[in-house]
Amino acid sequence: MDDKMNQRTYHRSKTVTVFFLCALVLFGLVGRLVYLMVFQSEYYTLKARELHERERSIKAARGRIIDANGKILADNKTVCTISVIHSQITDAEEVITVLTEELGLSEDYVRKRVEKYSSIEKIKSNVDKATGDVIRSYALDGVKVDEDYKRYYPYDTLASKALGFTGGDNQGIIGLEVIYEEYLKGEAGTILTVTDAKGVEQDEEGEERVEPVSGRDLYISLDINIQSYATQLAKQTMETKEADRVSILVMNPQNGEILAMVDVPEFDLNNPYTLPNGMDAYSFSEKKRQELLNAMWRNGCINDTYEPGSTFKIITAAAGLESGAVKPEDTFNCPGFIMVEDRKIRCHKVGGHGAETFVQGTMNSCNPVFITVGLRIGVERYYSYFRQFGLLDKTGIDLPGEAGTIMHKMENIGPVELATISFGQSFQITPIQLATTASSIVNGGRRVTPHFAVRAVSADGTDSQSFTYPVRENVVSAETSETMRYILEQVVAEGSGKNGAVEGYRVGGKTATSQTLPRGSGKYIASFLGFAPADDPQVLALAIIHNPKGTYYGGQIAAPVVRQLFENILPYLEKKDYNRT
Amino acid sequence: MAQRNASRRGQKKGESFMDYSLLFIVLFLVGFGMVMVFSSSSYEANLRGDATRYLRQQLFASILGLVAMMVVANIPYHFWERFAVPAYIGSVVLILLIIPFGYSSGGATRWLYIGPISLQVAEVAKLGMILFLSSLICTLNKGIRTNKGFMLVLLSPAPVALMLWQITNNLSSAIIVMAIAVLMLFVSCPDYKRFFLLGLITLAVAAAVVFYVVQTAEAHVDDLDFRGARILAWLDPEAYADDTGFQTIQALYAIGSGGVLGKGLGQSMQKRGFLPEAQNDMIFSIICEELGLFGGIAVIVMFLLLIWRLMIIANNAPDLYGALLVVGVMGHIAVQVILNIAVVTNTIPNTGISLPFISYGGSSVMFLLIEIGLTLSVAKGIHLKDL
Repeated sequence: MDDKMNQRTYHRSKTVTVFFLCALVLFGLVGRLVYLMVFQSEYYTLKARELHERERSIKAARGRIIDANGKILADNKTVCTISVIHSQITDAEEVITVLTEELGLSEDYVRKRVEKYSSIEKIKSNVDKATGDVIRSYALDGVKVDEDYKRYYPYDTLASKALGFTGGDNQGIIGLEVIYEEYLKGEAGTILTVTDAKGVEQDEEGEERVEPVSGRDLYISLDINIQSYATQLAKQTMETKEADRVSILVMNPQNGEILAMVDVPEFDLNNPYTLPNGMDAYSFSEKKRQELLNAMWRNGCINDTYEPGSTFKIITAAAGLESGAVKPEDTFNCPGFIMVEDRKIRCHKVGGHGAETFVQGTMNSCNPVFITVGLRIGVERYYSYFRQFGLLDKTGIDLPGEAGTIMHKMENIGPVELATISFGQSFQITPIQLATTASSIVNGGRRVTPHFAVRAVSADGTDSQSFTYPVRENVVSAETSETMRYILEQVVAEGSGKNGAVEGYRVGGKTATSQTLPRGSGKYIASFLGFAPADDPQVLALAIIHNPKGTYYGGQIAAPVVRQLFENILPYLEKKDYNRT
Repeated sequence: MAQRNASRRGQKKGESFMDYSLLFIVLFLVGFGMVMVFSSSSYEANLRGDATRYLRQQLFASILGLVAMMVVANIPYHFWERFAVPAYIGSVVLILLIIPFGYSSGGATRWLYIGPISLQVAEVAKLGMILFLSSLICTLNKGIRTNKGFMLVLLSPAPVALMLWQITNNLSSAIIVMAIAVLMLFVSCPDYKRFFLLGLITLAVAAAVVFYVVQTAEAHVDDLDFRGARILAWLDPEAYADDTGFQTIQALYAIGSGGVLGKGLGQSMQKRGFLPEAQNDMIFSIICEELGLFGGIAVIVMFLLLIWRLMIIANNAPDLYGALLVVGVMGHIAVQVILNIAVVTNTIPNTGISLPFISYGGSSVMFLLIEIGLTLSVAKGIHLKDL
């Protein structure tokens, strides 16, 4: 009996021990729980939030591009994206009927998406806001209408190659849209929504928004009136001369601001993937498509180089005057050709110009005169002027893909090469390079940087940031510059450029007709570079006609283009200047 | 003998004792369990078109279990003494039946179908082991103090545990069966020394396994099976957040984000697809997320009360057999609660253990209720004077 009692006793005490052991362990676990739920709570709450929240970004409105008159060249329009959320649809048939009708889609297409089990299914994007509003007004469960921005160019093809366009994510693809991406794009905002593991939004949890910051508006020097008129002239010329391409560049030689940049054929910025013949680029193979599109988007004014021909005599003349190799009153004799070493280089006038001063030689665009000047300057000096004028560098224009100058190496230049360089052949430069170099020669010797962007202004207008561009002084002396203005005015007044003269205005300029490579192909580039007023140039224009049919002389077909342009824009610019002061 | 007589007298006079405190605690836990099963399962179940699917099954099993509990409570517990050996053999046979007839779910084969009811054999084996060991220890009487007796009690459940581990791929149930045996043995032996040694050996083995796994992992991870990987995931769950540590990390997110006051009943985010099968083994983490630290502690306190109540009944049982039955039940519930909460809070490596009465699972709740029925039957034998 005692033993039994004893046994009972230790049973009891051991059962109690078991209980207290369990209690001890459970208290330990309570401690662990306190650690997790009090001290680690913040950490795990944050982690859990990250897990539960889905981030949807809100696109920022892209900054607009605005011309010198305040006209909007690139804008945003509101478009809608229509999606369905499977789990929230109550009347699938109604949803299918409405979306099929309003969006003009096939019923099969819509049905497949509506009936698909997924968290959110996109039906159509880039839907007009009006259509989006109509769909929203049906108030269908499970149908989402999200507003979004799409880039929109009110003038379609105008200045297409300069402005550029944007891609699917509203990012710049070419042109100013690329270069000023940082200013234009703004900062996307976010909507944080709480979702379950499959991404279904949990309505009762609400949402958190971080508002987007709109991009800055870009104010550019391009003037829509000048651009429009230059485009008209270029198109007209291209048609009447059956030319391949016509480029017109208009800039302010004093500060480098570009007023117009035309390179027809242009393309429709609102449909940048539609080829000129109306075909969709996506019907071609990837490689072919990219080739065709790149050709269409190519900006001849900056992306391509050409042999400038006689317009380059401006540079040879400036180098000759600056180096003292020639004076305006120096006399020359042109028998119609000139011998350089064993080579006979012909003048465009078969019978020759006879005796002429340097000024007259320039007016006649006489090759022997310029070859003589070039040879007098000599290779090394000529090359150093080439560098000094900035011809070996890019202009630094604020557009992507500027091509560099294609020039002989100095050690490869012999007398024959020097002779051809002197009248603008055997090397290639871009139109913008020629216009910029000519600007610095006639503006008193300041090498300006050609540019479009003037300032970037925040969307609310409070913060304006002006752009400055490098200017290099004393590229040529003021005296040489003045002489050049005088000579080039004579070219237009009485010389080969007289078709560029505008009644009532002093215009200076130079013509050029260059045969394209290979020689003897019968293809020419006719061009004319003009500026006005000749004594104080405020505007400089360069017109280049590629492969015209019939008459191909720059003086006869390119000079009239610039004349017509000047006839219209010179009074306009004067008026504008009145308004400014 | 006096005890026997007293209890007989009591019964004769119709003073049948019903432990209402125990009954209340158990009913509360079962009811609370159903609320939490519904809360944690309804979101996902609703997506599949039937929000109350799990609640209904749990309700069905609980009613069945409660009926069985009342029946067992009204059978004098000595009735079961004769079933000791059949219970053991029955457990073994059921586990062996798994090989040809087992039903798989989630990568493990643990269920047998008997008509429309699926039965998790591990739950039968736990109950069977309590019945078998109670009888065995009573039969051994003082013989248990000898080393031979000690080893017999310790090793007789080992085959069942091994089979549970190897055949049903259920290490946690094997651990629980062994833990029940050790606790019953502990209570029936007067000494502490051997148990202290046993505890030390267990700890040393566990430490060696962890050490081995970590060493192997540093050399070449591919050689580790999934349990080895679970140990690594336990040490650094965030490094294995995409696979082995996934469930643990999701449970920790739930617990941690609950904070002191919780998100409110029904407001768990983790149950919305992040924590898979939230109504099962990890249900305690959803309780913590929704009801906060207070809710979590309240549940632990309820279990502590339950274990305390079982202790009281065991210590007032009319005889050793009754006491051992109750100690077995107490050990079963205590070990399972401790292991479950330890797993959910990543205090030990992850292994599938359900939370008694609360986790979703018909077999588990049914057999636990039958065990409570046994306990109530033992409690009926207590003379009120003894309390």
